[in-house]
Amino acid sequence: MKKIFYNTALLLISIGVLSSCESELDQVPFDEAPQDQVYQTIDDFENATLGIYETLTLPTLYGGSDAGGMLDAPDVLSDNVTFAQRGRGTRFTLHNFLYFPADEVLGGLYARSYEMIYRANLMLSYAEQFQGDPEDISNFVAEAKALRALGHLNVVSFFGKIPTQSSDANGSLGIAYVTSPDFELLPARETVGDVYNKIVADLTEALADINPDNGVARFDTEVVALLLSRTYLYMGQWQNAIDAADMVTSSIAPRDEVNDVWIDESRAGLLFYIPNTQDGLGVTQGVTWSQGGRFALIPEYVVSLELYQLYQNDDIRKMAYTLNASNGQLQFNAIKKAFGRTVGITGQVDFKLFRVAEANLNKAEAYYNLGNESSARTELDIVRTNRYTSPPSGETGVALRDAIRLERRLEFAFESQRFFDIKRWGLPVSREAFGDLADGSGTPSVTLSLPAGNFRFQLPIPQSTIDKNPNLVQNPGY
Amino acid sequence: MKTKFSGILTLLLALVVQLTFAQQKTITGTVTDDTGLPLPGANVIIKGTSTGTQTDFDGNYTISASATQTLTFSYVGFETKEVRVGAQSTISIQLNPGSALEEVVVTGYSTRNQTVQTSAVVSISASEISQLAPTTSIDNMLQGKAAGVQVTSANGKPGQGAFVRIRGVGSLTAGAASPLYIVDGAPIREQDLSNIPNEDIENISILKDAATTARYGSRGSNGVVVITTKSGNRNRDAVIRFSSRYGVTSRIEPNFTMMNAAQKLQYESELYALGITTASTLPGVTTEPGSPERQFLLDNAVDWQDLILKEGVVQNNSVSISGGGEKMDYYFSLTNDRNTGIIDNIQGFERTGTRLNVNFDAKEWLSLGVNVGYSRSFSDEPRDRNNAQNPFRAMLDYNSYEPEFVLDEDGNIVLDENGDPVYNPTRSGFPVRGALLTEPAEEFENTTLGSLDAVVKFSKNWSYGFNASVNWQAARSESYSQPGGILQDILAPNGPQGNKRDRQVHRVDLTLSNRLNYNLRTEDHNLDILGLYEYNMNEFNITQLRKLGFPSAALTTQVHASGFDTNDQNYTLRNRLTLLSYGLFAEYDFKEKYLVGASVRTDASSNFGADNQYGVFYSGSLGWNIAKEDFFAVDEIDLLKLRVAYGTVGNRNGINRYASQAVNVYNPYPVSDSGDSGNASIPDRVANPIIKWETTTTGNVGLEFNLFNNRLRGVTDYFIRNTDDLLFVIPTADEQGIISQGGVQGLEGNLGEIQNKGLEVAIQGDIFRSPDFTWTLGGNILFLDTEIVELPNGQDVTPNAFNIRYSEGRKINEHFLIRYAGVDPATGRSQFYGADGNIYFANELPEGENRVFQGKSTIADKEGGFFTNFNYKGFGLRADFVFKYGNWINNIVKQQRINEGEFIDDNQAIDAFNYWQNPGDTGVLPSPIYTLDDTAITSQSDRFLERGDYIRMRNVTLSYSFPNELLEKSPINSLRVYLQGQNLLTFTKFWGDPEVGLSSGETIPFADVVAPGEVTLYSYPNTKSVQVGLDVSF
Repeated sequence: MKKIFYNTALLLISIGVLSSCESELDQVPFDEAPQDQVYQTIDDFENATLGIYETLTLPTLYGGSDAGGMLDAPDVLSDNVTFAQRGRGTRFTLHNFLYFPADEVLGGLYARSYEMIYRANLMLSYAEQFQGDPEDISNFVAEAKALRALGHLNVVSFFGKIPTQSSDANGSLGIAYVTSPDFELLPARETVGDVYNKIVADLTEALADINPDNGVARFDTEVVALLLSRTYLYMGQWQNAIDAADMVTSSIAPRDEVNDVWIDESRAGLLFYIPNTQDGLGVTQGVTWSQGGRFALIPEYVVSLELYQLYQNDDIRKMAYTLNASNGQLQFNAIKKAFGRTVGITGQVDFKLFRVAEANLNKAEAYYNLGNESSARTELDIVRTNRYTSPPSGETGVALRDAIRLERRLEFAFESQRFFDIKRWGLPVSREAFGDLADGSGTPSVTLSLPAGNFRFQLPIPQSTIDKNPNLVQNPGY
Repeated sequence: MKTKFSGILTLLLALVVQLTFAQQKTITGTVTDDTGLPLPGANVIIKGTSTGTQTDFDGNYTISASATQTLTFSYVGFETKEVRVGAQSTISIQLNPGSALEEVVVTGYSTRNQTVQTSAVVSISASEISQLAPTTSIDNMLQGKAAGVQVTSANGKPGQGAFVRIRGVGSLTAGAASPLYIVDGAPIREQDLSNIPNEDIENISILKDAATTARYGSRGSNGVVVITTKSGNRNRDAVIRFSSRYGVTSRIEPNFTMMNAAQKLQYESELYALGITTASTLPGVTTEPGSPERQFLLDNAVDWQDLILKEGVVQNNSVSISGGGEKMDYYFSLTNDRNTGIIDNIQGFERTGTRLNVNFDAKEWLSLGVNVGYSRSFSDEPRDRNNAQNPFRAMLDYNSYEPEFVLDEDGNIVLDENGDPVYNPTRSGFPVRGALLTEPAEEFENTTLGSLDAVVKFSKNWSYGFNASVNWQAARSESYSQPGGILQDILAPNGPQGNKRDRQVHRVDLTLSNRLNYNLRTEDHNLDILGLYEYNMNEFNITQLRKLGFPSAALTTQVHASGFDTNDQNYTLRNRLTLLSYGLFAEYDFKEKYLVGASVRTDASSNFGADNQYGVFYSGSLGWNIAKEDFFAVDEIDLLKLRVAYGTVGNRNGINRYASQAVNVYNPYPVSDSGDSGNASIPDRVANPIIKWETTTTGNVGLEFNLFNNRLRGVTDYFIRNTDDLLFVIPTADEQGIISQGGVQGLEGNLGEIQNKGLEVAIQGDIFRSPDFTWTLGGNILFLDTEIVELPNGQDVTPNAFNIRYSEGRKINEHFLIRYAGVDPATGRSQFYGADGNIYFANELPEGENRVFQGKSTIADKEGGFFTNFNYKGFGLRADFVFKYGNWINNIVKQQRINEGEFIDDNQAIDAFNYWQNPGDTGVLPSPIYTLDDTAITSQSDRFLERGDYIRMRNVTLSYSFPNELLEKSPINSLRVYLQGQNLLTFTKFWGDPEVGLSSGETIPFADVVAPGEVTLYSYPNTKSVQVGLDVSF
């Protein structure tokens, strides 16, 4: 009898206890939201759209990075900067064209760009299942497509040729154009021509549905039009580039506001910017160029003396874009565009990605290529009259072409353009042998030139990227 | 959970009050050695239970047991004896010297006599722990103590733990290859072991094969370390024990020499003469030899290593009181440890702990126990990063000719407007000695470990045990950049003054376990069956606040600050992991000759996919005590035991706690000029509903032997561990674009298979053995092979490490680098092997992949330790050595100190002078004129990959125990004094210190390290110490 009692008791303990804790195994995260529940409402889609933009602020895109990214690499690869010995030695192989696949140079930019594309694709795939009126989210869909296009344009500009760069460019290795959030995807590289056509298609669709004004830190008609204009310019479709740029109707920043724009005291001439405050995004992207105060500067790169001397004394950009700085006995021409506001955290400024002036310079270049020199000069002079007190003018022929190119270099120095411009014009990178100090003494960059047509104009696909996707083919030469 | 908890208790209480029990009585006695001397600290255990006691300093014990039970007497180095209680109330026992293996093994869920043990288990007792080199974290002490256990100290920071790997690397995911640590039934994180004072530890048992680890099911796959804290002795007056230790600590002297001011200036001018323009702005070029400017530099030169480092103090004081009455026993302790570390300007580490362990027989059939320990520690957290913010990098970067403070023309220190000296930022731009004062980072941890136990005896055979164990940690870390401090001037000279981050972390780990025991003892048969039902919950909470703008450096709380820092610096987070387990464990022996063990355990964990939460883990083991056979009559062989074990164990660590679920997170994104933010919704993780247990299958064959009247004792094991369904972030193509907020790129899931196999040998022998003089030698070694058996699609995988790559058929953690081919004697330029095997200059290497595998892994393939121990009357001299052999370390510190001018701003080792100068020079460094052109390849090459072999004398102790005759007239029971040295001798060919764990804690933090010892950077160096100590008891 007693035995039976024991056994029953033991059984009861076991069962009573065992059944009670099963539900504890169903744990849901506290800090994250289940994905299938956050693409339902119009607000959800708006939030998801902001999520795509947020990628732009990350390191290796426009957020600044020691590894190199969208913010800096187009200048680090160019003749606009000189490697500063006083710095931490970042991006040494990038700047000196010593990169190779295992070096993983711009690997972050590659991966982060596709992260932005993935965010867009995931939102777009949920948008197809949206239960409400598709009109209600068509603006978000347009923004997603435009951002997807920008991501691909940035990647292909580094890792592939640019259509106007050489006659074989359109048929050469481009990148994978990804339009689905499938995580089992192993896409191959498409041709440059196909990639550009898809960029144009996405931007064209975006342009049709996007709102004329989406407020701060969002794309709208003018931004997409400018991006489309840039794409056509890269493709050599001059009239299309002009037509798209014509949709940009805002005014260029006047000369007396240019300096204020770069210390965030004016928004003149900005088409797309992202406010960046310490209690908001809090990104200090200026670290990509230098750390420390003006008189204790630790620069990674400085304005090359060659570029510095190209800014005329009556050019407002000389004081708006460059800064006389020092560290002990050493004097530097520091890069000022992301140096910081007059007060606040050093190296922290609003992100400025698209400006009206580009529409003018795109048009100037396109008109010139169409043989319409007078319209080209008109557009060029719109920029120049807003920069110089006594602007040069009246060039014709090759002199006009070179003036347009010079103005583009001066206007968009340290704004993610220079290397692409050199590349698409089929020019070499040639750096003058100035050192890193303000007077040109000190140490010049190790590599002073990259001959036109050299394979290194197309960066190597990072080795780890190829390891993960066996369908990728490496660029020739590596 | 609370209602369930009380439900269990109610049920338990309702049942037990009606039961009757076998009659218990008190047994007393003395345990002595073969010469009649008392054996203090001998174990007296009721066979087949976890109830037991220890003898006091006079060898006396008291224990409560029933007539039918058997007492097991054991002591390290002596043969275990068993006596059936029967009618006796006094049982005095003489133990014969013998097997070191003859011990009781604690496995957490039960204890087992080593004689009938069928698993590969190593047990380290309190008496052994007290003889080892004192460290603030006990995992460091395990090195060289147990065959098959590889220990790599993370770094030399006081309070820092170690990377412990049992039988190779069983998981490829960061943080998952560490063993499971259990303290009095509660799991504890490896990095929290420093919260347990060594003095409180009674026993550390290391479970190595599946026969025992499978009992821990899902968490045992990388071995289990079971730590038991001390308890008191029944019917004993309180014994008060006091220990004190004091000593000095300093960096282990490096085996290279940095340049002094004159040498560095000379080096700069030499390189400039070669055309290295980067030297042009340096004083070796801008000042002429013999000039007043040059003399000024030499006159004000500084030895930065002397300046930044200090000789530290290590100190320990502890008091314990233990004893017991007829129905209860207690152990109380209070300890304080202090280690100032070796960085001048900061305080180091301090820990105070207290513990009370009480066992109480509430009824004859009911015993209750409570073990509670609390500790509070303080630690300075100097930056462990790879730049001059790290004092250990700064002291090598700073040039000797750069003075600490800015000097005027007369060599006087320049003062600022407040009259404080102005720090010289140096070429690095960062004066670290100033920053140690103005940028304090401190960590405070409060840890409470509690274990509550109730055991109900239903009958002679049946008992039920309930245990609740809690490990609760409340930690606070503060890092302050003071207004006007060093970082202020660099980061925001015009911005908000000062900023501070406060972070509070709560970790709770709660285990509720129910055990139902059945024991059967007959003349020939011993059977133990244990049924287990267990629930474990781990919750993590963190609150962080960071504000900017402090009015004064003296004000340190956030209430004073004027504004908030970025959104990602201000948050609370919470997550939870649960585990539900059922187990059935059985052990049987026939006359202690034939031994059988079996276990099965089912675990369900909340972090796997809904259909894959359950895993079943089993083991079976057999043993044969050959020497106990009647037919086996070899006098020279006292023990000969063969055992085999096979089983499966799981792992669930190393992945996100919600890895099976697709989620989005929200980040701010600005929507207005005024700084308003919207909620940007960001896909963070892709669902993987099929993610499941990582499973390790272990086979083990072991042989234990004692020969020549137990003078020679040994154990050897051969094991094969296969781990499949490895938990890992499976790489997804970059084009898929999946990157989590934490930077995880890919999909957490189950990846291929790895294998570890090896041979362990542990041997000890008494060279001399007499009452007055003993000399014992012993050692152990692991021979280890690791292999990556299978990866998805056969593709190589690159983990988060420095040039480490996983590839099928290769060792785990192999370096993947371009081979260096030496200096071309004709030109002085570095040469490298291309993938085709030919020799090239860097700029001529063939297209494609030139990096190769060479079978050089970060994992030592031979590792172990050995010791020698003399005892003559009261004198003792003991030395413990540890060694590693066969591991390869990429020596980046060397690269940066003899780099032929790449970082010519930074100070260099004098070896740097030995560069190529003339055609035909051999045995030299490359010529500096090619350095910058070649650096991209050099840094991907194996030029600085070096063997990490070393032998280190971890501990040497000279001690004297006063004889009882001398102490008889004093109130003192025992008195021991000692002099101890730690890490005083090292044998290595490695450039620098070969004991490398963490490279740089901010580059790859402790918890994220997959390949300890892969590269050298500038983590806290290892230290040596000399200490004097005293142990006294009353």
